[in-house]
Amino acid sequence: MNLSGTVLLVEDNELNRDMMIRRLSRAGLDVLTAGNGKQALDIMRSEMPCIVLMDMNLPVLDGWAASRRAKEDKDIGHIPIIALTAHATDDHRQYALDSGCDDYATKPVDFPGLLIKINKLTRL
Amino acid sequence: MNNTQDSDVARMEEHLLEAIPDLRNAFEAAQEALAADTLDDFARLLEAADRLESLARADGTAANVHDLMNILTALRGYAEMLREDVKGDLPELSSQLETLLQHIESTRSVNTDAGGSEKRSLTVEPGFILAVDDLKENRELLARNLSNSGHIVITAASGEEALRALEQSDVDVVLLDLLMPGMDGHEVLRRIKDHPDWRATPVIVISGNQDMDGIIECIEAGADDYLFKPFNPVLLQARIKAGIERKRWHDREEQYRQQLERNEKFIRATFGRYLSDEIVTDILERPEGLELGGDLRRVSIMLSDIRGFTTLSEHLAPSQVVTMLNRYLGTMTEIIMAHNGIIDEFIGDAILAVFGAPQRRDDDSDRAVTCALAMQSAMVEINALNQAEGFPAVHTGIAINTGDVIAGNIGSERRSKYGFVGHAMNVTSRIEDITGGGEILVSESTLISLSGDYKVGTSKKVNVKGIDETILVHQITGKAE
Repeated sequence: MNLSGTVLLVEDNELNRDMMIRRLSRAGLDVLTAGNGKQALDIMRSEMPCIVLMDMNLPVLDGWAASRRAKEDKDIGHIPIIALTAHATDDHRQYALDSGCDDYATKPVDFPGLLIKINKLTRL
Repeated sequence: MNNTQDSDVARMEEHLLEAIPDLRNAFEAAQEALAADTLDDFARLLEAADRLESLARADGTAANVHDLMNILTALRGYAEMLREDVKGDLPELSSQLETLLQHIESTRSVNTDAGGSEKRSLTVEPGFILAVDDLKENRELLARNLSNSGHIVITAASGEEALRALEQSDVDVVLLDLLMPGMDGHEVLRRIKDHPDWRATPVIVISGNQDMDGIIECIEAGADDYLFKPFNPVLLQARIKAGIERKRWHDREEQYRQQLERNEKFIRATFGRYLSDEIVTDILERPEGLELGGDLRRVSIMLSDIRGFTTLSEHLAPSQVVTMLNRYLGTMTEIIMAHNGIIDEFIGDAILAVFGAPQRRDDDSDRAVTCALAMQSAMVEINALNQAEGFPAVHTGIAINTGDVIAGNIGSERRSKYGFVGHAMNVTSRIEDITGGGEILVSESTLISLSGDYKVGTSKKVNVKGIDETILVHQITGKAE
């Protein structure tokens, strides 16, 4: 699958972040990165990415709070957010969706599945 | 996380880390053939593996799921990218990457919270699963994954072994690896789908290398689902669950079909001897119209009797009596069945037949009368045969009455038959008493219900014994021209 557009990857784990940047770039996407929730909100407002991939366990401002704030902001509330979490339980899934995330992917991330989700959400 | 899970995680990490040196060797052997980008990816994969190792060393178990999953995400990402890079060219390296990816997949069950609702919901109904794979690690991985969620798993290391297992056990779902030496997955699938008892068993094919053509071929050959290696345990569970449900549905359907077949056999056995095939088929097609419990219905009753047969039989040898009777009853039975009447019973030379049960039709009385006319015509032929053998000619009288009777299975548990009870039966018998040889007498109620035109001869009154009643009967001499 080949995609185009700019994706904001919010991830504090540099190992993962590097890997994701490589794979997303290979898939045709331009990648911006942020290391915490506060940075993520700033970049969303200034760069208007097509979509945000948001880790939930982040320093400074965590992914849940950042997602809630983004969705309450009329300028960036339309930008889809996919939560990336280490837990695949129903509770975690629900918690992410309740925070305003549009979809959800569990680590270790199924990359083709993630691309399908990105494609679906950015087409809408 | 509880202790069981902790030790599961530790074991998975161990498997994962054990796979690294082999992968490193395969990589070093192939190094010269690889692009700089690929080498860079590999360096990062090793970095992630080092992190995992230090995490494992730090606390023995992975108490911190978040860190573990981050490392696994990175490992998986690099391994998948490398797989894309080296695809096909370097089989040893590819297979090492596959092994690593499978170990990563098996750890995914850790973060789904083994005691949580998600996992429980996937294992509502445990099933009997046959996992077929020539590689021991794969069989163990499948068995571990599935038995953890309550399924019973048997494994087979080859196609031949799989077929033997199917013969011995009632398997709910088959997980089938396609690439195996000897009898491969395609052949096993073909044999399962050709086998009458196994055909309905769902088969989930597992393909090693995103082999879409192979998968399509399998789906066309009857496979129910597929998974690519390395499989996602949650997806595996979901497909297994769907497969078990499919099998359960089939089993229930099969049970229902067998029940229907038994009912049909019962109905054919109960009615077959005195009903025409047409009526039996009619009943089977509309079972709701048939109540075996007994019901009141309007029927036309026919009673035929050879005049003076008892006297006649005294002058004949027993074997001659039987020959004559069988010829007569055989011919009459055929005619009655051809007119869709039921033969309720033979009483010596007398035949009691009913038209309008178990299925009522608009032309019940017409068929009874037409049948009686055909029976009388057939007597000519029967007598010709009798005379040719030196037997005397015989003449039958036929009485027909139309009225309400109770129809149903009458008798005891051990011996019962579909029969009729009611005043109308007695009336018919009374009419028969006054019927002469070669004559057809019908009651007033029958005559009224006829819709065809018949030649009606003389009419007379009959006193019905036991009840203070006189009824009018009419002679039928033929069809109107």
